[in-house]
Amino acid sequence: MKPFDCLVIGAGVMGATVALHAARGGLSTALVDRGPICREASGVNAGTLTLHMTRADLIPYAIEGWRLWTNADAWLGGDVGVVPAPGLCLAFTDDEAALLEQRSSARRAQGAPIELVDAAAARAIEPGLSAQVQLAAHCPLDGHVTAYLTGRAYRAALVEAGVTLFENMPVGGLDRAGGQFVAEVDGVAGPRGRRVVLAGGVWLEPMLGWLGVRLPIKVLVNQLAVTERLSPVMRSVLTIANGLLSLKQFDNGTVLVGGGWQGRGGRDLGGTELVPENLIGNLRLACWAVPALAKARLLRGWLGLEAETADAMPVVGPVPGVADAYVIGSVHSGYTSGPYVGRLLAQHLLDQEPERPLFPMDRLVRPLAEETAR
Amino acid sequence: MDDLAFDFAVIGAGPAGMAAAATATACGLSCVVIEEAVLPGGQAYRSPPVAFRAPKKDRDRSDGDALRNELARSGATLALGHRLWWIGERFRLATLGPDGPRTYRVTAVLVATGTTERVMPFPGWTTPGVIGLAAATILAKADGVVPGERLVVAGVGPLLPLVVAKALAAGARVEAVVDLAARYDWVRAALEGRSRPDLVARGTGWLARATFARVPWLFRHTVARVTPSGDALGVEIAPVDDEGRPTGVVGRTLAADSLCIGHGLVPTTEITRLLGARHVFRRDRGGWIAAADAFGRTSVRGLYVAGDTAGIDGAAAAPLAGRLAATAVAHDAEGSVGDPDGAEVRSLSRRRAAAVRFGRAMARLSKPRPGLLAAASADVVVCRCEDVTRAEIDAAVAAGARDVNQVKAWTRCGMGPCQGRMCGEAAAELVAMHVGGRERTGLWTGRAPLRPVPLDALIGTYEYGEIAIPKAAPL
Amino acid sequence: MPACRDPRAFERPPFVTITVDGQPVDAVPGESLVAALMVAGRGAIGRSPRGGLPRGPFCMMGICQDCLVEVGGVRCQACLVPVQAGLDVRTVWASDG
Repeated sequence: MKPFDCLVIGAGVMGATVALHAARGGLSTALVDRGPICREASGVNAGTLTLHMTRADLIPYAIEGWRLWTNADAWLGGDVGVVPAPGLCLAFTDDEAALLEQRSSARRAQGAPIELVDAAAARAIEPGLSAQVQLAAHCPLDGHVTAYLTGRAYRAALVEAGVTLFENMPVGGLDRAGGQFVAEVDGVAGPRGRRVVLAGGVWLEPMLGWLGVRLPIKVLVNQLAVTERLSPVMRSVLTIANGLLSLKQFDNGTVLVGGGWQGRGGRDLGGTELVPENLIGNLRLACWAVPALAKARLLRGWLGLEAETADAMPVVGPVPGVADAYVIGSVHSGYTSGPYVGRLLAQHLLDQEPERPLFPMDRLVRPLAEETAR
Repeated sequence: MDDLAFDFAVIGAGPAGMAAAATATACGLSCVVIEEAVLPGGQAYRSPPVAFRAPKKDRDRSDGDALRNELARSGATLALGHRLWWIGERFRLATLGPDGPRTYRVTAVLVATGTTERVMPFPGWTTPGVIGLAAATILAKADGVVPGERLVVAGVGPLLPLVVAKALAAGARVEAVVDLAARYDWVRAALEGRSRPDLVARGTGWLARATFARVPWLFRHTVARVTPSGDALGVEIAPVDDEGRPTGVVGRTLAADSLCIGHGLVPTTEITRLLGARHVFRRDRGGWIAAADAFGRTSVRGLYVAGDTAGIDGAAAAPLAGRLAATAVAHDAEGSVGDPDGAEVRSLSRRRAAAVRFGRAMARLSKPRPGLLAAASADVVVCRCEDVTRAEIDAAVAAGARDVNQVKAWTRCGMGPCQGRMCGEAAAELVAMHVGGRERTGLWTGRAPLRPVPLDALIGTYEYGEIAIPKAAPL
Repeated sequence: MPACRDPRAFERPPFVTITVDGQPVDAVPGESLVAALMVAGRGAIGRSPRGGLPRGPFCMMGICQDCLVEVGGVRCQACLVPVQAGLDVRTVWASDG
C-alpha cells in the first residue's frame, strides 16, 4: 500500500476534523479507527455547546468552535441537529451564587459574553425554571448538537474530500520504517503514512506509548441519560455553577441529562457501567432545575469517556522527540472546540500558521527511558 | 438506601423462574424473584385475576397453577409488580415497585425473562386493531377478551392454532388463518416433536377445532397490507414461497375487526447484553442468545439463563431448565467443582431433552423467513416508536453504517420507549442484507434502564442538600 | 366491532367505573386496563411521533409501549395496570394537548 501523506488514528471529532482539512489542503490522508466513526465520546456526548462549562483559558477556542458548529452547513455539510439556544448557569445556594460570580467573571475576562441575571430574568429566558433559583448567568452563545449524528455528517464530508477511511480496524502499534509510520493491525503491517496524527481520546496514553512517550491521561467515565419524548418543558441549555449538570430538550421532545457524574469502569476491556446512585443524583439535580421533568420516564442511560491531562489542558501539536508525529486530544469541552482545534492542527500540518496557538505537550511528558530510569 | 441481601435473584416469574426459585430454596439458598407483572406465571402460564372464576378446566392454567403453588410454598421472596431497571457490579440490582425504589445485593442471578414476539413489518401493521399473536393469547388467558368479532389470524407457528381455538371458544369468527408455513411443514413439525405426544395431541386438537369450524387455512400466505376501513380493517393477503417472498400472484382482501399476527419468538437478551456476557447467533434458537452450558451458566461468573431466554425451547422445557440452573447455582455456591450429579439431575435432563425436541420442532416451524422483509416496501415503518421507515435504514447503510448500533444512532431506529424490542429484529435483518449476515451486524448494546422508569418515582422526595453533588469541575 | 369480553371464559366480579379522559367507562376489577380500554372502543390510545397517526396496543406484555397512559398523573403501560374502581386514566396524547 502506498504511504499516505497523513495517517490519522482515531476517528472522533478531533481526528476526523484534522483528516478533513488535511485532505482538503491537498494531503493524501487516511483515517483509521478500531470501531465505526464517531462512536465513542464524539457520538455519545451530551452535545452541549456552552461556554459555562468551558475552561476559562479555552474560551476563545470554544467561541470559534461554537461558530463552526452553528455554521456546519457551510464547511461540514450534513445535518448534526445544531440548535443555537440561550445558556443559563444556575445557582441554588449562596455558596453556588458566589462560585457562579467568580467563574462567570473569569470566563468573561476571556471573552465569553456571560452576564449575571436575577431569578426573574432567568425565568423570562427559561420559563421552565424552578422557583429555587437564586442567581443565574446568561450566555447567548450556547446551544446544542445531536451528537449521535456527528459520524454521519463527518463520514459524508470525509468521503467527499477523498479521505481513505478504515473503520473497524484496530491499530495495535506503530513501527517506523524508511521514514514512514506503519500501523500494526492484528500483528501485520497496515496503512502507512509519512506523518502520523494520534487522536485517540482516552486511548492517547497507550497510543503515545507506541512512540515511547509517556503521557498520563486520566479517564473520566461520564454518565448520561435521556428521557422519552414529552411536550416542551424547557427551551434553553441549563448548567449549574459547579458544572455538574447539563440539561436540554431536543426538538423531538427528549430531554438529555448530563454533567459528568461518574460511572464505573474505564478505557480497558470490561467496559463501563452506570452507578445507579449517581444517576439518581444527576436526575434529582435536573428535576430541581426543571420540575416538570419529573413527569417523564427515563429511557436510556449510557457512559462516555473523557480524557484529562494532569493540568486539564489540551495536548495539540507535535509529539516531542518524534519527528512527524502529532497528537490532538484532552480538550476540555472538546466536542464544542473540536472543529476549531482540529482545523488549527491541520493548518500546522499544511505548513500554515495556525490562527491561534496550539497546545504543545512538552510541558507534560518525559521520555519513557527517563521514566524507567526513575 | 441499604441493599437487601439474597444468595440468588431470579428475574422473571415465568415457568423457568418459578421452578428455579422453588428448587433453589429447597437447596437452602435465599432467593428473591423479581417480576414486573402483578401475578406470577409469565406469558405461557399467564393467569386471570384472582377474583375471576373459570368454569372450564384449562391445561395451561392447571400447569401454571401447579408452579404458582410450588413457588408460593417455597419461601422465596416475591417482588411482584417490581420493575428491574439496572443490574451491575456482579451483582447489585435496582428495582422500582409500588413502594418505590429498592436495591439488592446477590451472589447469583438467573435470567428467566422469556421471549418477545417477532413481527416483521408490513404496510399498515401500525394500525390500531393489529396486535401480536402472543398478545391475543394473553388477552384470552388473562382477561377472557377477544380483540374483535371477526378476526384474521396470521403469521407462523404453534400460536396460530392456539389463537384460533381460543377465538372460536369465545364465539368469534375467524375469517382466515394466513400461514407462512406449508401443510407439510406442520406434518414434519409433528413428527419431529413426537417426543412429547401429549403436546402434539393438544396442538392437533386445536387444529381439529379450526377444521370443524370450517376456518379457511391459507398455507404459504402472508399479510401484504392492512388498511383501515371505517371501524374495521382491510387485510390484503398474498401467496408466498418457502422463504416468505410474495410469489407475485395478486391476493384478496378480507374484512376483519382485528388482525392477530406474529412471526415466531425472540429470546430476550437485554440483561445478558448489559452484563457483557458472550452471545452467539443461533437462527434455529430464535437469534442471538447468551452462550451457556447445559446448566445455563453464561460466560459471566454467577450469571445463569434458563427457559426461552436461553434459546427457544418452549414452555414445557422451561421449568426443567430452571430446576437444572438452580441446581447448578446451589452447587457453584458451595464452590463445588464440576457439574452437579445424581439421579435427580439425570431425570431432569432426560425429561428436558424430550420437551426440547418438541420445542425446537416448533421453533423450526416458526423459523424466520428472510423473504418477508426483502419484499417490504421502502415506506414501511420499521420502528413504531420513532416512525423510522425501511428507506431510512437503507439510507443509513448506504451512508456507511455497518452495524446495528450505528444505524440506531443515525436513524433513531430503536431509540424510542420500547428500547428496540419491537424493531430490533427487523432492523438487524435489513442491515444484515447489506453487510452479509446477522453475525456481522453485531448485537444491540445493552443499556440501563432495562425498561422505561418514571423519573418522579426514581428520585423520590428530597431536599437540595440531600443531593450528593460531586466536587466542582475545573475552571 | 371492538374487542369484547367472552362471558363464558370467566365468572367476573361486577363492573366498576373508571374515568378515561374525563368520561366514565365500565370495567371489571382485576382485568388489565388495556383490555378495558379495548373493549370500550378506546383502543387507539396513542399517536405516532412523526406522522401523528393513531396507534393501538400491540403486545399486551409490557414491551411495545403503545398503550402508554397516565393513571393518576403517572405514566404507565395500560397492559401492566389492573383495573380498580375510580382509576383516573388520561391518554398521554390528550394530556399533552
